[in-house]
Amino acid sequence: MKQALTLVPLLILPFVLNDFWLTQVATRSLILGIMALSLSFLATYLGVVSFAQATMAGMAGYTIAFFGPNSVGIGVQLPFWVSIPLALTLAVVSGGLIGLIARRSRGIYAIMITLAIGVAFFYFTRQNYALFNGWTGFSGVRAPQIAGLSLRDPLPLYLLSLGVAALALALVSGFVRSPLGLTIQAVRDAPGRVLALGISVTTPIVAAFAFSGLLAGAGGILNVWYQERISSFSVGLGPIIDILIISVIGGLRHPGGAFVGAVVFVLLDTFAVDLIDRERFNTLIGVVLLLIVIVAPGGLQQLASDWMARLRRPEAPKKSTV
Amino acid sequence: MPVNHLHNTANALEVRGIGKRFGGFWAVQDIDLTVRPGERRAILGPNGAGKTSLFNVLTGDTSATTGQITLFGDSVTREPINKRIQRGLRRTYQHAHLFNGLTVRDTLFLAVAGLRGSWRQVLPLRATDARLAESERLAEIAGVADVLDRETSELSHGQRRQLEIGIALAENPKILLLDEPAAGLSPAERPKLSALLMSLPKDVTVVLIEHDMDIALQTSESVSVLYNGRMLAEGSPDDIMRNEDVHRVYIGGAHGH
Repeated sequence: MKQALTLVPLLILPFVLNDFWLTQVATRSLILGIMALSLSFLATYLGVVSFAQATMAGMAGYTIAFFGPNSVGIGVQLPFWVSIPLALTLAVVSGGLIGLIARRSRGIYAIMITLAIGVAFFYFTRQNYALFNGWTGFSGVRAPQIAGLSLRDPLPLYLLSLGVAALALALVSGFVRSPLGLTIQAVRDAPGRVLALGISVTTPIVAAFAFSGLLAGAGGILNVWYQERISSFSVGLGPIIDILIISVIGGLRHPGGAFVGAVVFVLLDTFAVDLIDRERFNTLIGVVLLLIVIVAPGGLQQLASDWMARLRRPEAPKKSTV
Repeated sequence: MPVNHLHNTANALEVRGIGKRFGGFWAVQDIDLTVRPGERRAILGPNGAGKTSLFNVLTGDTSATTGQITLFGDSVTREPINKRIQRGLRRTYQHAHLFNGLTVRDTLFLAVAGLRGSWRQVLPLRATDARLAESERLAEIAGVADVLDRETSELSHGQRRQLEIGIALAENPKILLLDEPAAGLSPAERPKLSALLMSLPKDVTVVLIEHDMDIALQTSESVSVLYNGRMLAEGSPDDIMRNEDVHRVYIGGAHGH
């Protein structure tokens, strides 16, 4: 309920912001936030940091581009109500497969394996022309028109992204309260002990990766509509690191942190030109990341809730003395 | 010695020639052990005698280097731990690996759902779920009902021990392996644990590793003593108390501190 209240200002936002702010900042933050959420989910509830989220998002994005209208003349046109479920399914399957490959790895080894998968996918898209059109990829990808409403327009795309983001957060909070979700968290805390309860460890891990694939895939679909193009650069080291940075800035301990991190990231990315030289963006985001890691290892979301708790605390002793 | 070879019903646990080697070191070697259904057996031995290593092999936490293990007449030597659990084998751990981020309620829920094979559900859990009621019942038995909504990382050592027992009691265990359940408990908590062990259904077989002689002798009808990875003596508590070898390596050693 409390979470639903935060939707109200977000629904008013389009009436306050001009198209530049709405599209370049708000919509983009939501989309990047959804992709980062797929990583925060894995990190928070399975305890695995995955570098393959851009791959899962890319699977969905490429599927939309291949089976939708594009200007490179590759692929087959399918109606959106076929291509969207197909894209999500492929993202879920790729997530599950990555989970299957990485299931025995923890910590640094999970990072290495998922990074290897992410980079391998990047090079594969560069070299495959039949499906991925090499490094140029797809351009002129158009978001569909649904009931006369073009999802290319700023307002519908914003509202759709907002709806998907809210749905993604609701899905995460529901899923982690399900028996399978609890099992995933148990695997995070003590995998050997899960086995001793008669539960196989592989299924929860694969399920967690597949679920993160669903989230990443949803973000990937929105992203290809937003960018109107997708190429090897959309799944390369750049986006892989961006997703990680957003998750860390926002905080890996709470799913909502992904969106806080995305807003900060997008604001810095958009206005770095005004603050410092455009080419110094990496320096700027690096310094911000460093500050977060030193000052607030739990991310901005954690920092904010700590401050809230500190503001409330002075009242508590008063009550108890009465 | 309570051996039951002629009887038709299979023994709860039969161990023949079990050995476990780590590199060049035999943690346990040539262990034979027969436990009847419903028997209460204590395993004694000084630190490093191989008690926990034996448990690990019995449950399948580690594989045996040599020997055979039979549970209720079926060979389980090559079975993984989750299969043995389904046969009614349960254990507690000396150094509890609990799910630190989960509450006591959710931990016990997973113990129930895991054993019932119903942990794959993806819809959020309802407060009215029968498995939650069952986990509350287990918490009641184990004495952790007052901390149901606490995360296990916040529990005291004694509460973690009790939760361990609650997990082990889920879904009608047939044979319980308890690894020093009283270790680290306060003097006030120990009698409660003894009472809990005594109150277990009579058909549940219990094998108990225990340093506390009082608890071991009070709750068990037979005792096996391990020393340096080998079986030193077996018998009734009285036999063991009178056994000179046992006195020398264990009881004598304990008094020597």
